[in-house]
Amino acid sequence: MKKLMFVLVLASLLLAACGGADEGPAVVRMWVHTNTAFIAGYEPIIAAYEAAHPNVDIQLENFDYELYLQTLQTAMPAGEEADILQLFGTWISQYYERLAPVPANVMTVEQAKQTFYAAPIGGYIVNGVLYGMPQEFNMEYGGVLVNKTKFEAASLTYPPQWKTMDDVLADAVALAETDSAGMMSTAGLHFTAADPISASFLAGIKQRGGDYWNADHTGFTFNTPEAHAQLQWMVDAVKVGAVDPVVFNDSTNFVIDAFFQGKVGIGYIGTWAIAEGQANFPDFADEWDYIYLPPVQGDPVFVADSGWGLTVSPNSKHQDVAWDFVKFITADPKNAAQWNIASGTIPAMPAVAKSAEIAAAMLWVPKALDILPYGEYLGNMPDRDLVMYEIIYPRILNALQGVETVDQALEAIDTEANSTFK
Amino acid sequence: MPCTPLCHHPFYIFILFIRWCCMNLTATGEGKSMQKQKGGLAITKLRFVAGVTVPLLLYESLGIFVLGWAFVLMFFDYSSGRVGGPILGLGGSNPFVGLGHFIEMIKGTSVEANLFRVSLRNTLVFAVAILPLNLVITLPLAWLLESIGRRFKSLYRTIYFLPVLTSSVGVALIWMSMYDPQAGWINAIIRMFGGKPISWLSDPRAGFAGVSVAMWAVILAYLWQDYGYNMVIFIAALQGIPQELKDAAMIDGANVWQAFTKITIPLIRPTMLFVCVMTMLSSFQVFDIIQVMTNGDPGNQTQVLMLDIYKNAFRYQNLGWAAAESFVLFLIVMGVTLFQMRVLRTDWEY
Repeated sequence: MKKLMFVLVLASLLLAACGGADEGPAVVRMWVHTNTAFIAGYEPIIAAYEAAHPNVDIQLENFDYELYLQTLQTAMPAGEEADILQLFGTWISQYYERLAPVPANVMTVEQAKQTFYAAPIGGYIVNGVLYGMPQEFNMEYGGVLVNKTKFEAASLTYPPQWKTMDDVLADAVALAETDSAGMMSTAGLHFTAADPISASFLAGIKQRGGDYWNADHTGFTFNTPEAHAQLQWMVDAVKVGAVDPVVFNDSTNFVIDAFFQGKVGIGYIGTWAIAEGQANFPDFADEWDYIYLPPVQGDPVFVADSGWGLTVSPNSKHQDVAWDFVKFITADPKNAAQWNIASGTIPAMPAVAKSAEIAAAMLWVPKALDILPYGEYLGNMPDRDLVMYEIIYPRILNALQGVETVDQALEAIDTEANSTFK
Repeated sequence: MPCTPLCHHPFYIFILFIRWCCMNLTATGEGKSMQKQKGGLAITKLRFVAGVTVPLLLYESLGIFVLGWAFVLMFFDYSSGRVGGPILGLGGSNPFVGLGHFIEMIKGTSVEANLFRVSLRNTLVFAVAILPLNLVITLPLAWLLESIGRRFKSLYRTIYFLPVLTSSVGVALIWMSMYDPQAGWINAIIRMFGGKPISWLSDPRAGFAGVSVAMWAVILAYLWQDYGYNMVIFIAALQGIPQELKDAAMIDGANVWQAFTKITIPLIRPTMLFVCVMTMLSSFQVFDIIQVMTNGDPGNQTQVLMLDIYKNAFRYQNLGWAAAESFVLFLIVMGVTLFQMRVLRTDWEY
């Protein structure tokens, strides 16, 4: 009896081992950060791909933003990450050693440069190698939410006909309000959150003819006349009363929350804020729109991060399927447009951005078409988040709040930002 | 007994195996003890050691592994985004830096070094402010609660203890709404009396006694959440003081204050040691309430070490640096704890 049992067990084990690994569908796991609008964009495209490829099962898994960062950092060294990973393009220079290069038969670097705008694709190319494909043009520069109701209450021209930034400041000062105790209750131009401060500071340097990179991109040059002029302009905007940076900043009265609660006349923020504001403040009754600011001088040159896009793990057993799907969702104009409309993001491909479909669904995109070609990629930094959120933003906020002078802030930014190149 | 899916779990099977070993040891020990009592005692000891040590090893092994990994990491410039060398990703693009992180902490000019020194200072300010304030509130309150009638004692104790049971995130959100510069009721009261409202959590210029207003604001919120815990411990200690000692002091002519300072305080010194150590430990490790309320703002004035470690490890992938910071925090906490134990220890029991 025991021998019989032994034979049966052995036989079942052999059968299991010989079982067809190729018989089931190819399961491709895809990790994204939790963003309701983004996920709503992914799901129908995944369904369409699976319908066209019945032997593929794409499993979408999402993580809260902070948890996603931690999961990536623990899973990637262990080689346990998903097949497809959603990454912010500017992070690629930190993760590229753990990512699979895009196969040449899927897309070459040259093809990618022709397919996408320069700013979104820039982050996905590290040392001349392409590591993924972008889905959005992450444009934090120049776009503002404007409150029509407040403009009309202040007897200002609407829609605003701004030719220069001085025109913007004049409207901002007219829109700003303070309460009886002297505290600002309405910000005229809220540009004092982290992303607007960084975006307008870097764009201002570029538009004034300067650069924050040294010649060979091995270090920063923040202590320049152009940087000084731009920061001084921002300090002067605070001094004339466009905004109180103590009451309106990244942690108190953040742009989206404050704008959709009627505390801001002009709110400097990326287009991604539109979907979030509409979702979080459905009862906001004021009329509003999204328009673009004029440059401080010259052409509207600006720098941008490479936005969210898709990459593939080198540990994936189905890299061919994964890349095929990534190309399907990011580089197919119809699918890319569908995802951009659902997620409320600016398309990464000029062909999609200029399409009638986008113009009909996203009224602010056609207004940006003249500016988008001026967008340059921010540049690969050792640690982009550290430079933006722990150096540029707090130091400039210090200058705006009167804690540091312009010179002190620029000196500190230059020293600390260069220290990230170890 | 029906077998649940847990029965198939390897850990469960391993526990069953350990249990079986212990039972066998016991059985063998009982058999031998019939012959030789000394041998029986030895077997009982062995059973005890096996019963205690094996679960301890199981429990601690994961923790020891993690601590060991953190200890190794602090000597490397390690980032999880880089592949590094062939052994655990150490070396290569995650180079060995020896004591480089600690030297940088002391005299470096990098943003990490600057933030570390600011965070260390803020952590010390926070801990040094919290401990005396907590004792000043909790001890008299516990003494007062002990003196009121039994009917209301439980009710008050429950009310005072409720914030301890509330999640830190909830507490942070409540206090944030109170501190709101435009809609918060603290500024509403200030306005009512004609005062100038304050941006409690975002004004880097406002301060008191050399400490920013934002830091005082989070200290107050933390105190509110934490004081009920120490108060309950003090109540238990006060209840343990023999009534005869208090009566004897009264007969000798001591007033209430003298009885409190000469009888009560000395007799609860062991409890005070426990409270001081635990309060200091928790205040050195403060994280969640500050992360939610200020995330280190304004101008890093509320950036504490735990928050800095978290940001370096999980936001900036600077795991080697974060491990070195954690080691410094460990040394500080150990040093402060040993100092407190030395100062507040007693050589007697009652």
